[in-house]
Amino acid sequence: MKTDHELIREFQDGNNDAFDELVKRHLSETYGFFIKFTSDEVEAEDLAQDVFIKMYKALKKFRFESKFKTYLFRANINMSNTYLRRNKWRNLLHLDQAPDQGYMDTSLEDEWRRKELWDAISLLPPRQRMVVTMRISQEMPYREISNIMGISENSAKVNYHHAVKALKEKFEN
Amino acid sequence: MNIEKQFQGIAKSQFSAPDGDAFLEKLHGERQKRQQRKMGFIHGVTSAAIVVVLGMITSSQLTDDPMVYASTDLIPVETMDAETEEFVYDLAVYLVDNSDDIWETLAFLDEIEFEPVVTMHEEETE
Repeated sequence: MKTDHELIREFQDGNNDAFDELVKRHLSETYGFFIKFTSDEVEAEDLAQDVFIKMYKALKKFRFESKFKTYLFRANINMSNTYLRRNKWRNLLHLDQAPDQGYMDTSLEDEWRRKELWDAISLLPPRQRMVVTMRISQEMPYREISNIMGISENSAKVNYHHAVKALKEKFEN
Repeated sequence: MNIEKQFQGIAKSQFSAPDGDAFLEKLHGERQKRQQRKMGFIHGVTSAAIVVVLGMITSSQLTDDPMVYASTDLIPVETMDAETEEFVYDLAVYLVDNSDDIWETLAFLDEIEFEPVVTMHEEETE
């Protein structure tokens, strides 16, 4: 089986099938990242599509300095930040559509809580937001997070700790 | 809200990924659509830029000084084509013959730099 870098080289040499192979290989984890993030199949597919469309352009200039997986994950994080920014206003405008707490069924309640949680995560400082996103969407170990973000493992742990503390304070209040 | 529990809930949630071939078909379709939209936008901007440049070039040729237009519209008799020159000569003869005030007519012909009048003036001053 060809490695990601071999496929990218072939794609850079004009073989579009190599790009398709790369997409198929990483589709599940990319889609998984966004489905956990949005809880919406259509939105998750759209976001995954946007990421791969950006990849189609960006991979032509890929310099093989990092693993493709790391590169793709950074793109996912950037896309999720864009999504959160884009939805901040939309969420504000739809606050009146929050389900009535007394009549919610369990799945709707879970979904609403998850939405509330992601909205709160979107308000965290960028570094904390990235660490939390990676921890909860991919259950990524701190070592891998530190590699992707270019920070130390301890710094990743501290950022996660601060983020959880801030979220707890927000929801307890 | 129990944050850790929520985190675990999100992390453990199950999903089924979309079909790879169908996803790729949509992906390339959307990519081409965006490419076409981008090219349309670039063409639009280029056309607008050309219109602006041509407009600026045209307006730079315009001036507020009416004499500029008068100087090109009232060209001297000597640069007229034969047909116009003949017409102006006939007109001059008609004006001289039918004018109530010959001096006013001569002054007009002098003003439009009608050659025989100019020559006549030059001869007089010599």
